[in-house]
Amino acid sequence: MDIVSQIALNAVIAGAIYSLVTLGFNLIYGTARFFDLGYGALAATGGYAAFYFYTQLGLPLLLALALAILVASALGLLIEKTIYRPLRARKASGTILLVASLGVLTVIQAVIAIIFSSQFQTLSRDVAAEKVYTILGGAITQTQVLILVTALVIMLALALLLKYTLFGKAVRAVSDDDEVASIVGINTEKVMGAVFAIGSAIAGVAGVAAAFDTGIQPTMGLSLLLKGVIAAIIGGIGNVYGGIIGAFFLAIVENLGAWQFSGEWKDAVAFAVLILFLLFRPQGVWPK
Amino acid sequence: MSLLETKKLVKKFGGVRAVDHVDVRFEAGMLTGLIGPNGSGKTTLINTLTGLLPMDGGTVVVSDNVALHAVRPTSIATYGLTRTFQSVRLFEQMSVLDNLLVVLTERNVWGALFERHGKYHLDTAEDILKKVGLWEKHHELAGTLSYGQRKLLEIARAVSMRARVYFFDEPFAGLFPEMRKVVSAILHELRENGAAVVLVEHDMDLIRSLADYCYVLDSGTVIAEGAPEAVLKQANVIDAYLGK
Amino acid sequence: MEYLIHIAILVSIYSILGLSLNLVVGEAGLLSVTHAAFYGIGAYATALLLTESGMNFFLAMLIGMVITGAIALLIGAVLSRFDGDFYALGSLGFNVIVFSILLNWQSLTNGPLGIPGIARPSLFGFSFESNTSFLTLSLVLLALVWGICTLITRSSFGRVLHAIREDEQAIQVFGYTTTYYKLVIFVLSAMLAAVAGALFASYITFIDPSSFTVNESIFMLSIIILGGLASHRGAVLGAAFLIILPEALRFAGFPTDVAAQMRQVTYGAILILLMLYRPQGLLGEYRL
Repeated sequence: MDIVSQIALNAVIAGAIYSLVTLGFNLIYGTARFFDLGYGALAATGGYAAFYFYTQLGLPLLLALALAILVASALGLLIEKTIYRPLRARKASGTILLVASLGVLTVIQAVIAIIFSSQFQTLSRDVAAEKVYTILGGAITQTQVLILVTALVIMLALALLLKYTLFGKAVRAVSDDDEVASIVGINTEKVMGAVFAIGSAIAGVAGVAAAFDTGIQPTMGLSLLLKGVIAAIIGGIGNVYGGIIGAFFLAIVENLGAWQFSGEWKDAVAFAVLILFLLFRPQGVWPK
Repeated sequence: MSLLETKKLVKKFGGVRAVDHVDVRFEAGMLTGLIGPNGSGKTTLINTLTGLLPMDGGTVVVSDNVALHAVRPTSIATYGLTRTFQSVRLFEQMSVLDNLLVVLTERNVWGALFERHGKYHLDTAEDILKKVGLWEKHHELAGTLSYGQRKLLEIARAVSMRARVYFFDEPFAGLFPEMRKVVSAILHELRENGAAVVLVEHDMDLIRSLADYCYVLDSGTVIAEGAPEAVLKQANVIDAYLGK
Repeated sequence: MEYLIHIAILVSIYSILGLSLNLVVGEAGLLSVTHAAFYGIGAYATALLLTESGMNFFLAMLIGMVITGAIALLIGAVLSRFDGDFYALGSLGFNVIVFSILLNWQSLTNGPLGIPGIARPSLFGFSFESNTSFLTLSLVLLALVWGICTLITRSSFGRVLHAIREDEQAIQVFGYTTTYYKLVIFVLSAMLAAVAGALFASYITFIDPSSFTVNESIFMLSIIILGGLASHRGAVLGAAFLIILPEALRFAGFPTDVAAQMRQVTYGAILILLMLYRPQGLLGEYRL
């Protein structure tokens, strides 16, 4: 019983982090319509910024987190304005944008490694003093509970934002057809900028969460991103809510796989799931 | 003799039937017009018949003897079907000549690996390109051609297939009068040689002068058929065009 | 001098990788991010045959090519059903899976410790022990691969690949079962990558999984995108440029680990700049 509930708890935490990644990824993919690999680097940026402000500068936790998320968001917006926007203006193909975002990922990842070294590091926190709760025999730390709550709050906030605000309407209009949207007077570039800023902020949150949960490494961005993308595809790409289902499904399969075969096969299991989905259900469980 | 026939063909988009129980027949040596207002299902019908869209019901009968309930794009060439695209789909970053050679040469993978192209293929391509007046440009990339030349090249590509049924989706749209004559002549010649030529066209004068028979589509159904002169006078056809 | 020969050997190996990857990416327009997997399978197969059975290098290389081709056939059978972003993502997934297998199938691959003591090639009593003779061998194999690639791209088969790259659905309508074409070129490309793998294994005389990661696949992609897609000369130029550049950085006085990251920054930046200003690469004509 213990092992089962522990697997379930681990899956829930991982699922919460993956849902954050996939949420932002789907938001960007849905509006900008390309596979933004650079998005992963923004998650890493968030994690490292938290490390810098909190562990290295010793700022108060909440301030450090707010700054970290702000940094990720600002960087995302900067990349959108300087790289993706000019490419879009030239009607560059999705492949060109994908390759450019691959460049973004490579550069940011390497810059992080130059500044902070490529070693695995953990964020300083008093592990001994941290409360550990036990649910049905499985252990969950206070940090993990906080991650879970944050993820839920963000999912809910984004859902409300997209559904009930004018901005949400504009985003939906741009995702449906950006030309029509601009004809009816929506400033598509502004919407696109906001989408990148919000999406990147969510990536930042995911990065911070992953950083506190396990630790940081410059390559964390790529692996988080890939999990997010896989979750998005399982859920039905471009469907913000489907992605969340996909994220939890992926987390469960991964943790079951790790339990059955040992942790080293985790990534391989995740991609095997991806390939099976691409083959047999490319539209995902919940098509847009 | 019917080269291609549909029986109660259905194509749905979501809940909407874009092609709704359509029965059409395309006969050898006849030019059949396919007309109807925008969004009436003409292009969808062709896309379904050529396998670009999966069909949702009904039967497609090839040459009175093969009945199909699904059409794959890769198999339409074997049934002797070929087409042009309304939106002109050339192989942009290939030369004009290669755009033709690619449909003339070996289909088999291993054969293709050990062949470049025969003299016979080259001669055929040259003949066809000369016919549409593009031989001088055979080394240029297709993407650099003008709109009219691109349409001609696409028609030339379809002609290279030596098919039994040809679908031309608005081949005249946006063409200069000189080029229109070339296209008319090609359609005539294909028809004389016994092919079934299917023409989607908005210009009713062209339909009157070229078509032997025509189908009028509206909201995915055939609302009238017959000789163009008679059909175009029918009240329901005029209503469909004027939007009632 | 010895150093220059070392660089030249590396450039030849990466030129072979670039030329072979170009068949899939440049000629057929399929963004494959799994080339390092076949490079790795070729290297491991050759290395194991050499160390376990002591057979002749050239025989081992040929067997390695066949094994790689067989695995590529399986992977390609899945990938050939995809296109666009899904092809890129699926192929990346296979790279991760193959890497996991190289890393974790310890009884076969010796895991992260790698395989030491791989012999240099010899033929009719002549041993390619010195780097000069090894360079000659590499150049001969490079020339052979170049020749094979030229034959493929100039054949009718090559023309069909171009058509698939331009508009896969349109060429299907003209009677081509494009899946077979995509599969065959994928397998051929993988078999040529195995040649590079065999050369690499016996040149360095030691291999471990870290040379065959997704990052390595991205590096190979950068080579051909920089040199110019669908251009043979471009593949060699790209390889030369991206191999020599980091060496130059090392001479400029950066410490080794920073130099390694600088290499990443440089090629990431190159990808971004190319997409922004010259999407056809230095020598290529084909635009993504």
